[in-house]
Amino acid sequence: MKKTIIAMMAAGLALGAASMPVMAAGKTIAVSWKTFQEERWKTDAAAIKAVVEAAGDKYIDSDAQGSAQKQAADIEGLIAQKPDVIMVVAFDSDAILPSIKAISDAGIKSIAYDVQFEDPNALYITFDNVGVGRIIAQEVSKLKPEGNYAFIKGDKGDPNATFLFQGMMEVLKAGIDGGKIKNVCETFTDGWKPDNAQKNMEQCLTSTSNKVDAVLSENDGMASGVVAALTAQGMAGIPVGGQDGDLAAINRVAMGTQTVSVWKNSVDLGKTAAAAAIALADGTAMDKIAGVAKFNGGKNKVEMNSILLAPTPITIANIGVAIDAGHITKDQACAGVKAGTVEACK
Amino acid sequence: MTNTTSTSQGPALEQEGPIKKFFRATEIDTRILGMVVALILVWCIFDIWSGIIRPNEGLFGGSFLTPRNLWTLLVQTSSIAVMSTGMVLLIVLRQIDLSVGSMLSLVAVATGVLQVYQLGPSLGVGHPAIWVLGVVMCLAIGTIIGAFNGFLTAYAKIPAFIVTLGGLIAYSGVAFLLAKGETVAPMDQNFSVFGGGVERSWLGPFWSWIVAFIACAAIIYAIVNGRRQRQRFGFPLRPVWAEVFLASVGSIVMLGTTLVMNSYAWPPKLIENFAKANSIVIPAGIENKDGKAICMAAENVVRCTEGFILYTGYSLPALIAIGVCLVMTFVATRTSFGRYVYATGGNPEAAELAGINTKWLTVKVFALMGFLVGVSSIISSARLNAATNALGQTNELYVIAATVIGGTSLAGGVGTIYGAMIGALMMQSIISGMSLLNLAAAYQNMVVGGVLVLAVYLDQLYRRNVK
Repeated sequence: MKKTIIAMMAAGLALGAASMPVMAAGKTIAVSWKTFQEERWKTDAAAIKAVVEAAGDKYIDSDAQGSAQKQAADIEGLIAQKPDVIMVVAFDSDAILPSIKAISDAGIKSIAYDVQFEDPNALYITFDNVGVGRIIAQEVSKLKPEGNYAFIKGDKGDPNATFLFQGMMEVLKAGIDGGKIKNVCETFTDGWKPDNAQKNMEQCLTSTSNKVDAVLSENDGMASGVVAALTAQGMAGIPVGGQDGDLAAINRVAMGTQTVSVWKNSVDLGKTAAAAAIALADGTAMDKIAGVAKFNGGKNKVEMNSILLAPTPITIANIGVAIDAGHITKDQACAGVKAGTVEACK
Repeated sequence: MTNTTSTSQGPALEQEGPIKKFFRATEIDTRILGMVVALILVWCIFDIWSGIIRPNEGLFGGSFLTPRNLWTLLVQTSSIAVMSTGMVLLIVLRQIDLSVGSMLSLVAVATGVLQVYQLGPSLGVGHPAIWVLGVVMCLAIGTIIGAFNGFLTAYAKIPAFIVTLGGLIAYSGVAFLLAKGETVAPMDQNFSVFGGGVERSWLGPFWSWIVAFIACAAIIYAIVNGRRQRQRFGFPLRPVWAEVFLASVGSIVMLGTTLVMNSYAWPPKLIENFAKANSIVIPAGIENKDGKAICMAAENVVRCTEGFILYTGYSLPALIAIGVCLVMTFVATRTSFGRYVYATGGNPEAAELAGINTKWLTVKVFALMGFLVGVSSIISSARLNAATNALGQTNELYVIAATVIGGTSLAGGVGTIYGAMIGALMMQSIISGMSLLNLAAAYQNMVVGGVLVLAVYLDQLYRRNVK
């Protein structure tokens, strides 16, 4: 392993030396993406690239294709290109730690982008995930303050699945303790897969004989499986919460089969992170960057500097926000919606 | 058969003599019988266990052996079951297809994009041509990709493992690019009928009985015809009582399944909607919250035990899976194509020398596999009412596991279609049952993996003892 690193660094040095004159003008911001298998990361990438290049700096990136091993190799490769800052969207938040140490050892600043890894030298920039869970629960419990709740959680290995659930529980705790809200099903979903979520929801409905009043799904993809399962039982229309602002989910919100999709505007996140990266590259101290606060809500309670952005809940009342931001076209949002039922579709 | 064989087969074979004679006469595969017994055992355990957690109306007081859960189980199994029938022929031929999962997402996403982004806006949402084109395209793309895999394997002489491993990685990439990673939804309303989630995809009791009678007739015809063929070629015949026994067991299973499907009532809200839409007068009755029917009680529609009720009968995906099973069994056992597959798998050199064009045969079997993936992708995407590149991922593992649990030997030459169907049912039963018990996916994976290895071990043990 060490030999490979040395070899790669040597190769990188040679390359770096060759291209040095071009790079000398600006700083270099590198990003290691965990996967481009989901549309949203492309949006983030475009936003970061735009800000970085507008500031006259250089943007480089790599795609780990959903593999922790490839991500480690990617980061070695990026270090070899001597950037000023490396942003990392970790595929596995524990396995990434040695790579993050390598980044610090090379004298490069690191940013944990969207997915947390617990290294005190890194700046953690994300949406407030506990907050996302809180908003999902708030919007749903506004419509159903009491009744049987089902929880369709994400993949067990992803810390976000737990953050989201924590947030939901913060809001619902009073109701649960007071006996108004009953937790009737609670399942993790392998790989956040919609078809697994559908099967879990079907089994939940079977085991409770359909006595479910609201469903909190931890993302929109799984919500599509939940809604399909509910539709088959003629129950579509009960409150269902999700997050991501998936185009199909916003359409479901317009049609009334999903109550809320908490939208984390990736463009905002990308822009904020890019600005922070440029500031770091220019030598600003981490805790002097605008919006930075201390965060220690991770698994091991490591205290990190972090920027937490507030997400936007999209409900039937404010679908227009996503349309105006260019996130979704009016035709996509309003496909199949009965005329005159939704303000934004008129 | 020796004493050791019988003891390894459990209670069914405890006695000697007549039982031995019985199995020889009926030509029933005792391994399959063992699997059926195991399956029923698993069902009972889940029913009892779920009943302890939350009493329900199952056979043993749980939620598993209820018409509703068995109905759902068939729908959940259908996609994997359809693909596993094709995988049987491939593995019998000493080939394998690791790319079926990625192929499924590619086909589903391609068809989803066609329906939602192309045909929907241009023809108008809900146009009848959309679902026809969608179905044709699923089957066509599947078949073409399958044939391509087969061509590379047979003519370019790349091992199937490598060709389809490449496919596993590459096709999911294509699926991602086609939809740009987005979830494509909702599918065309007519197309989603194939998923079993809407009223129109339920046959209702009348048509379910018709289907059951046709299936029974087909079983009896197959047995009579098989006997005639054996007579014609001078093969040994089964005694008449054995033929009658087989025909009645087949018919009873078919009729029993139909009875269970026909006793699953529509969800009450849907009954209510149906009654309102068709201006059916809902009878008055006394409220019973656990009832399956609907009644009027003082201006309100309530649930009750005796009132207006509708039953689902077979759902379209379950029916497709059963149909595929019957057709594929016929193809595998009664057509020259099927027999060539078994002959080639048993001994490729001998088959080639006997004049079988094994290369072309390989292409055809891969193409058939692709066609069946097309069928499954229709079921899966219609069921989710959405197409995403996550759909179908890791399905190849379940398909191969179902095939192997069902008694197909990776050495080639041996395997049955109905075995694979039972294997698929076994796996889905474990997954659904554990999910009814609210056990995490990690435990489900552990148990399914364990069952796979155990099934192959028992199979090996059995084969050794038979020899």
